[in-house]
Amino acid sequence: MLKVKQEAELTALMDHTAFRAALENAIKGKSANQAPFSMAWAAGKLSRAHLARWAENHYHYVGPFADYLGYVYARMPERYVDAKDFLLANMYEEEIGGDRHTDLLIRFAEACGTTASRVKNPDNMSATTRGLQSWCYAVAMREDPIVAVAGLVVGLESQVPSIYRKQTPTLREKYGFTDEEVEFFDLHIVSDEIHGERGYQIVLEHADTPELQQRCLRICEIGAEMRLLYTTALYRDYVEAELPFTELGLAA
Amino acid sequence: MVRVLFHRDGAVHEGEVAAESNLVVRAGVKHFPYPHLRYGCGMGKCGKCASRVLSGGEHLPAPNWKEQKLLGERLELGFRLLCQIWLTHDIELQQDSAAPAVGGTA
Repeated sequence: MLKVKQEAELTALMDHTAFRAALENAIKGKSANQAPFSMAWAAGKLSRAHLARWAENHYHYVGPFADYLGYVYARMPERYVDAKDFLLANMYEEEIGGDRHTDLLIRFAEACGTTASRVKNPDNMSATTRGLQSWCYAVAMREDPIVAVAGLVVGLESQVPSIYRKQTPTLREKYGFTDEEVEFFDLHIVSDEIHGERGYQIVLEHADTPELQQRCLRICEIGAEMRLLYTTALYRDYVEAELPFTELGLAA
Repeated sequence: MVRVLFHRDGAVHEGEVAAESNLVVRAGVKHFPYPHLRYGCGMGKCGKCASRVLSGGEHLPAPNWKEQKLLGERLELGFRLLCQIWLTHDIELQQDSAAPAVGGTA
């Protein structure tokens, strides 16, 4: 009897409030804030060299974000005008709405001691970062476009404000970066809040069958897992040998 | 909730927003003060969201480096960049019809 009730709940169409709460829960359990790299960052325990490796990897994950969205835009049904416009606005803002976001990332990278040329060189990203980038392309090209928005924008991009809100003061206060050097993080607190919220609006409006809602929830979980995997790998690949987990002061 | 009075083109638009809201973020997702608020880059560079604080400014944090760089002397006249501000208390704002020139002079 209980199983029948659970299945009925699983297949029932959720209203926007319940669906939004379910999306937020899907992301929450796997938030990248829990990754050791993020925790070491927030605790001020990384070196500038560690942050340089982060920037060299992060460029290849976020650099093609407008490309990912471009594929989704092209495949989004013509009748979803608002959704198409939101995607187009996101692409514009990433690239030419103000300063190009990747230029600001390179500015931070240079302050960490690496070079623009190293940042742009794809040979300097880890295999895991390449996996995250490939997953983003695959989702953009192959998934239902509403599911793709759920994965890329709700599952990944909407996490950014909470991550950077935590990390940005630390960059100034504990690592000694200047305001200009950390502008990449400042701008994302505003722009990704807009982008993430637009993503929620698209998904809430257009995931209009129980099956589509469940697929959106699942891809949010997977997206959050992918980002957590990527962030965890940064710690394993670049930090752990110099800063073992036990020295983070975070172990239970 | 935070009560916002927004003056633009001779009209006053009133709305309530959750505490810690950013009005440019809200306008970006088509919530109040959309479509009345003019904004641009959302990153403190273009100055299009610059607005004068008529009341409630005492509750705002001090202008950040972007506001200081972009608004310059206009800070003395009560101007702030709305993309750089998260509201915690009631506020009354006025935005001029024309976007101010950027560069730190009144």
